Amino acid sequence: MSVAEAAALDDATLVARSRDGDTRAYEQLVRRYQGPMYRLALRIVGSTGDAEDAVQDVFLTAWRRLGQLNDDGAFLGWLYRTTTNQCLNVLRKRKPHADTELDEHESPAPRTRPDRAVEVSAQLDALQAALRGLTPEQRACWVLREVHGRSYDEIAEAIGTTQQSVRGRLARARAQLAEVMAPWR
Amino acid sequence: MAVTSDYVLPCGRDVEEVWEAMDLSDEHTRSCPHCAAVRESLLVLREATAEMAHEEIEPPFDLVSRIMSAVRADVRRSDVVPLPGDGLARISTRAIAALLRYAADGVDGVRARGCRVVEAPESTGTDPVIEVELSIAITGLLVTREAYDEVRRRVLAAASARIGVRLARLDLVVSDVLEG
Repeated sequence: MSVAEAAALDDATLVARSRDGDTRAYEQLVRRYQGPMYRLALRIVGSTGDAEDAVQDVFLTAWRRLGQLNDDGAFLGWLYRTTTNQCLNVLRKRKPHADTELDEHESPAPRTRPDRAVEVSAQLDALQAALRGLTPEQRACWVLREVHGRSYDEIAEAIGTTQQSVRGRLARARAQLAEVMAPWR
Repeated sequence: MAVTSDYVLPCGRDVEEVWEAMDLSDEHTRSCPHCAAVRESLLVLREATAEMAHEEIEPPFDLVSRIMSAVRADVRRSDVVPLPGDGLARISTRAIAALLRYAADGVDGVRARGCRVVEAPESTGTDPVIEVELSIAITGLLVTREAYDEVRRRVLAAASARIGVRLARLDLVVSDVLEG
């Protein structure tokens, strides 16, 4: 099977093969989804080291629990839930003052030139900083919905709460972020 | 039930209401300075969010290989059977296979070929149970019921006496007959 053919295989096929112990099929799934899971983890935990560890744990756990996945086509949703959970666990274990040690990943020194492109990037930096002011659950809800476009239902399951509660957390997160972004108006 | 952010503006509207009316032409939002200010902040937020969603942050180049190393190590680890006792000591199925093949080889005219060992579903740390599929080649003139039974007896004995695991099922297959 060529690389191109392997890349075209759908999730359900790769999951079924992986469950039979086919590590090459699983590697295709890892290559396909490591990017979105890494970006999700980075946005929730805020540090590249923790994000890498979380994603590595998620894919190893997923491999071990493939037998528990009832719907082979639901692999991606399951990954999103597992990654969110893993990240929230990392944050719960972190010491309260550890937030000050977060990486300044792609958050360079504030730029002040009134260049349009530069201004937008500075806004992104500001948003990244503002996200740290949210509670971990609020941040997870907001990132899953607004950046990764996941459904309320899926987010509720990932956080272990109701859809209504997810909507409430999103609303508060949005209001808080808008407040921090106000100087950029 | 309406969702609120609990951030209420002096005009009485909730920030979430302003968000939901962002793209609607609402008379109040246009004329209310509080709503207009919040609306502008939300627009900035929306713009920055779109930028974040399109950010191209890639994982470290070696993340896939690190994940797959962990997965493959896990496969190797899972290829073991507990030894009787506290369940902490383990033996690889390959080592068991080697011992069982050696036991079968002890019978005159018999040569063990493939030996596949798997842990039985009922196996526990205190009572390890295995299932074995053993293929053997036998020398033509010695294809006797006795030789066959002797292989079965020795393999069962080796599993319990030399390894300490219970052999719940032994599929013995004669895969080849050699010239005598």
